[in-house]
Amino acid sequence: MSRSLLSFSAEFNDVNQEILLSGRMRPQTVQEMASAAEVIRRNLDGHSNTVYVNTRRLTHINMTAFNCIAEILSSACKADRQRKIVIVTSSVIAWSAPLFRTLASDEPNLLVEIYDSAFYPGQTFVEDESFIPILRTQTKMTWRHERGILGRHGLRDGLAIADICCGIGDFATLIKRHFNPTRLLALDHSRKSLEYARRVAADFGLTSIEYTYGDASQMLLADNQFDFVTCRHSLQIFDRPDVLLRELYRICKPGGRVYITNEKNSHCLGEPHSESIRWTYDQVARLFSHFDMDVEMGPKSRRLLTDAGFDAIQVETFMVTNLDGDPRDFANMIEAWENVYAGQMAVRRGDPPDFIRRFRQGFKDHVLAALHPKGYAGWPIWAASGRKPY
Amino acid sequence: MTGQYVSPKSAEFQDMAALTLDAALFACEFRLCDTIAEYLATIIGQSHEDPARYANFSSLLANEIVELAFRSVGPRGRIDFNLLKSDACVRMKVGFPLDKHGRDSWSAPAISSGSEGQQPAGNLIMMGQALGVTLSFDSSTDDRVTLIAEFILQEGIH
Repeated sequence: MSRSLLSFSAEFNDVNQEILLSGRMRPQTVQEMASAAEVIRRNLDGHSNTVYVNTRRLTHINMTAFNCIAEILSSACKADRQRKIVIVTSSVIAWSAPLFRTLASDEPNLLVEIYDSAFYPGQTFVEDESFIPILRTQTKMTWRHERGILGRHGLRDGLAIADICCGIGDFATLIKRHFNPTRLLALDHSRKSLEYARRVAADFGLTSIEYTYGDASQMLLADNQFDFVTCRHSLQIFDRPDVLLRELYRICKPGGRVYITNEKNSHCLGEPHSESIRWTYDQVARLFSHFDMDVEMGPKSRRLLTDAGFDAIQVETFMVTNLDGDPRDFANMIEAWENVYAGQMAVRRGDPPDFIRRFRQGFKDHVLAALHPKGYAGWPIWAASGRKPY
Repeated sequence: MTGQYVSPKSAEFQDMAALTLDAALFACEFRLCDTIAEYLATIIGQSHEDPARYANFSSLLANEIVELAFRSVGPRGRIDFNLLKSDACVRMKVGFPLDKHGRDSWSAPAISSGSEGQQPAGNLIMMGQALGVTLSFDSSTDDRVTLIAEFILQEGIH
């Protein structure tokens, strides 16, 4: 509730050739729209083919702002009927498409489209249903370590907690059962994952978890709401982790903590066949990098949190291994990784069959190491948290 | 205003929240519009499966109602914000006193005959139609108007 009413922006993105509107656009008078209006007008005038007006991160608007934008768009449509103006909206912002469609009915060269892809580079992989088994197994294996780690990072009973990028909600369910929060919100951008999460929570009789469909880089949540904010294995799949951290910081209360976990995939290890395993996980890091994701982020956690404005930063590492419970769980996780990384991502990158065969072999060797009676297999994770200053 | 929707009877509603402010205090600070709209929308959202997202959805119209009250309210009296809940919807009511200019523009014939853009509530009506939220106005008393929006909980954000 403490946000500025004029915390909005209008900018032109040269790479995507689009006008980006974002933030909370609730001016009292149209004069307060002057600089944003100028950006929109100038960039519409400068383009004669198709111009995109991206409103996916415009979370609030009032009619003063809307009418101002409508007038500019309408004039631009009439000035050049050959030019197409596409207003890009998101299904996260439920009012956006219906409101902007009121303009399209009067202007044949103005279109409104809902884009729910490309929120972050790995979205098509991560939000695929085939990723659900990976998430479920990973949480089962990491919880054994994190339950204790979370306490050392300040999580305790009776806090307001947000789990951002909650995936299938299993971590939130564990938090609910073990830490009895006063409020627990879980946000994700995958509708399928959220449906699964709601179903699982209902099966366990957990009715008070607030699941919300949202964009982690522009959340529909007020400032300073939560004592403890978690974001696990997710910063590493955004191309702009700083943007995400800024949002995590914003929703965290002063004095509260933001807790993140990230990997360093090239440090995955196993014996026997350590060389094959090491080669494959080096390639995993490069593969993710190709799609603008950084699965080597773990050791960078301290810098990321510091740059985002946090203090009292804590960092620790833990290694999930085949000796944590049933080795078959570890093996299942590796097999799921192989299916997505070698079966989908490498294929999408256009890797040749010989490469993919060798790439797969490292995963198979990792599975072998996990299941071998004398073998050892590990997956290192960095857990870090920072306090939002008072 | 949006067609087939039939509003629940008043007896089906239960009080959710009420806020009363001095009209002069309210009218002197535009920032209060956003604060009050977000406060009310957060409460409206609590009745929905996805509270945060429905709060954002409802805050658009709630804010426009509150801003309309800000622009129309007379200098004396009080402004009342009320939320009432039935099984199917949340009703938001904002009642406020009018000044002389307001009394003319909010009279029933002016509202029913004027074009949307010229009415005090023109923008609000357009927004309500776009979002599928039912709106009504009660200006039966001389110096006071009440704006009413009904947020149907199973619709709006799917």
